[in-house]
Amino acid sequence: MISSPIVVNETNVRGERPMLARVADSVYWMSRYVERAEHIARMLVVSGNLLADAGDLAPELRDELWLSLLRVLRIPGEPTGEGPISGRVLRQLAFDRANPSSIFSCITRARENARAVREIISAEMWEQLNTLYWYIRVEDAEQKYEQQSDDFLRAIMNGSMLFQGLAEQTLPHDQRWLFTRLGKHFERADITSRILETRHALLGRITGSLEASVRTIHWMAVLRMCCSLEAYRRQFVADFDGDKVCAFVTLEQQHPRAIRFSLDRALESIASIRALLHPHAFDPAERVLGRLQATLEYADPAELFAPSFGAYMQQIQQAIGDAAIAVQQTYFLQ
Amino acid sequence: MFDKYSIDGVYDEMFGADNQPRPHYRAVVDRLGELTLDDFAARRRIADITFRNQGITFTVYGDNRGVEKIFPFDLIPRLVPADEWDHIERGLTQRIHALNLFCQDIYHDQRILKDKVIPAELIYGAKSFRREMIGVDVPRNIYIHICGSDLIRGGDGKYYVLEDNGRTPSGVSYVLENRAVMKRVFPNMFGRYRVRAIEDYPFNLLQTLRHIAPLRSREPRIAVLTPGIYNSAYFEHSFLARQMGIELVEGQDLVVDGSFLYMRTTGGLRRVDVLYRRIDDDFLDPLCFRPDSMLGVPGLMNVYRTGNVALANAVGTGVSDDKAIYPFVPDMIKYYLGQDAILPNVPTYICAREADRQHVLANLDKLVVKSTNESGGYGMLMGHQAAQAERDAFAEKINADPRNFIAQPVIQLSQSPSLIEEPAGMHFDGRRVDLRPYILYGEKVIVMPGGLTRVALRKGSLVVNSSQGGGSKDTWVLEEDNA
Repeated sequence: MISSPIVVNETNVRGERPMLARVADSVYWMSRYVERAEHIARMLVVSGNLLADAGDLAPELRDELWLSLLRVLRIPGEPTGEGPISGRVLRQLAFDRANPSSIFSCITRARENARAVREIISAEMWEQLNTLYWYIRVEDAEQKYEQQSDDFLRAIMNGSMLFQGLAEQTLPHDQRWLFTRLGKHFERADITSRILETRHALLGRITGSLEASVRTIHWMAVLRMCCSLEAYRRQFVADFDGDKVCAFVTLEQQHPRAIRFSLDRALESIASIRALLHPHAFDPAERVLGRLQATLEYADPAELFAPSFGAYMQQIQQAIGDAAIAVQQTYFLQ
Repeated sequence: MFDKYSIDGVYDEMFGADNQPRPHYRAVVDRLGELTLDDFAARRRIADITFRNQGITFTVYGDNRGVEKIFPFDLIPRLVPADEWDHIERGLTQRIHALNLFCQDIYHDQRILKDKVIPAELIYGAKSFRREMIGVDVPRNIYIHICGSDLIRGGDGKYYVLEDNGRTPSGVSYVLENRAVMKRVFPNMFGRYRVRAIEDYPFNLLQTLRHIAPLRSREPRIAVLTPGIYNSAYFEHSFLARQMGIELVEGQDLVVDGSFLYMRTTGGLRRVDVLYRRIDDDFLDPLCFRPDSMLGVPGLMNVYRTGNVALANAVGTGVSDDKAIYPFVPDMIKYYLGQDAILPNVPTYICAREADRQHVLANLDKLVVKSTNESGGYGMLMGHQAAQAERDAFAEKINADPRNFIAQPVIQLSQSPSLIEEPAGMHFDGRRVDLRPYILYGEKVIVMPGGLTRVALRKGSLVVNSSQGGGSKDTWVLEEDNA
């Protein structure tokens, strides 16, 4: 139609199409929020089931277990609302619109971010996330949750899994995918280390007062929260020692739910992004993650617990936080 | 299904005066007759869920911030036979040529003013007239690259142009999505017709945008500029960027450096050559127009004037679709092209003219009065339906600022059957429709075969705007050999 020598694809020298800084930011947060919603849903499902399995726990311990879910999400203080602690936590983490760490808020924000970039994510990703959004937005959603909370929470988890699968299978593995993957693994590594940290501290404190069988149930619940029970079982048959659980979920290289696995993927992503955009430059996030990766790769499991497991987890969280800030400064604030 | 259907002296798109379906609608009527109300209910549900899950929504102003609504979709298609379309296409092509020549003239020699075809004070009094554009040459002399003209069909069965939208007309995404949903919901109906395809619109739009890229750019970077996700037409901005495979940018993504425009990417600044901007002139550049605008890009107008970025549509095209200028379009066609207008205007009284104003004030109960500076069905008086107090209030406004008002006789828009859901049940009933075809002016003029048929879903209502409770339906332009 047009005779002038115009090329259809606009590309730069490296063949990589430029990506708006704002768009990269949105894609990254879209992915983090979906991942976060999935973790919250899983923590709530597992906590509900745990209390059924564990039988008669002291009421204070019961409450402490529920409160620890707030701590994982860095929410201080008592849960909002009235009534028993369990019900309050279930409400605050699911439908509380004022709580930025509720499933409702996370899905809403993920969808808001997606809406701002929907021309660059795949139609399948958008439709799935939008469907998930309407699932929690319809009028009787809260009622459905009150009546069948397990079904509801499982639908959130499956919705997230489907979204992530679609991201994997429908999006070209270019910058868009790399930032999506980066957000997901930052979130997963961070929240997993928070789960391990809070549960290790809590169960460590009370472990003397629990029978061995009950202790096992608690550590199985931790593995379930980290989606790692089956992977752990294949490695350590019928041995639910707390330290082993924590070391496994921290250091396992091949298990996609382990902290180290996530950090490896995050590092790969950031290295690929850097190679695409600044092949000869130095990337501060890459350095932070590279160091952390080396620490985990060569870690002796015993050093995780000296001086304390909590300190070790905090060191990981700190590094993830530093890397996230560096990513923001290098790529999102152009 | 059509038992209770009444025509009531209005031109009906589907049925002739003898209550028989018009020939080109016969296959649709047959097909509809094969379906039960339950079938319809099921199809309607599919359509609604599809629209919602795909996020095909618009935002209503004056409602809560960011309330997304589905643009109500009416399942019964509107059919336009080939000969009628041929007439429309020729009329619109003629019109966009004249409007472009008018913009070029107004911002350069102003011959049409000097020859007193259009009163100069009407131009200089128009808010949409941009003095900043005087003497500015725009790429390939094209001002209106994308135009959406609203057509209505009167009781006489003739098409009239109600207004032109030469700034940032919206709605084309719904045309494309409506068609996609129709194919999903009524796949069989398409088999009975040869309907002209519209799916190449995004490609044609991209060609139109490429046509104005600065010549130095071998690979022009083209982007859609949106005010952001809270804009009522955000879905469309995103949709078009996706369909064309180009960037969707906001003002904050752009920066002027030297005399070039850049976008901020993860890898640093990248030059932008063409903007399909969906932001009004007023908000484009705070250094040039409204200083409080956060939506635009400071310095953009300078880059534009140097020719280092092309804008579609050009700045200042509002002067051509100003409601006060509209009555002169047939004169423009005569003046620039030496032709009679193929598609007539609706007769219009210009309140700035003393005689017209007196007539308008004396006949307020028979006229539609429109503010020349508003659109979207706002600032309107439907004289025959309004209360005396409303008419009095409007009379006062007209006297205070006559230039701001025009008036037109109430046109009985044609009606088309809609599926109406009422507590009593579902049935077909006639609802008034208009038609907004989209015209592209690039290397050549391309009129999209079809357009947005908007429906006034309230019984008897003549206002089809989405902000006023309007819906839309798929529009089928038929190939020659149908029926």
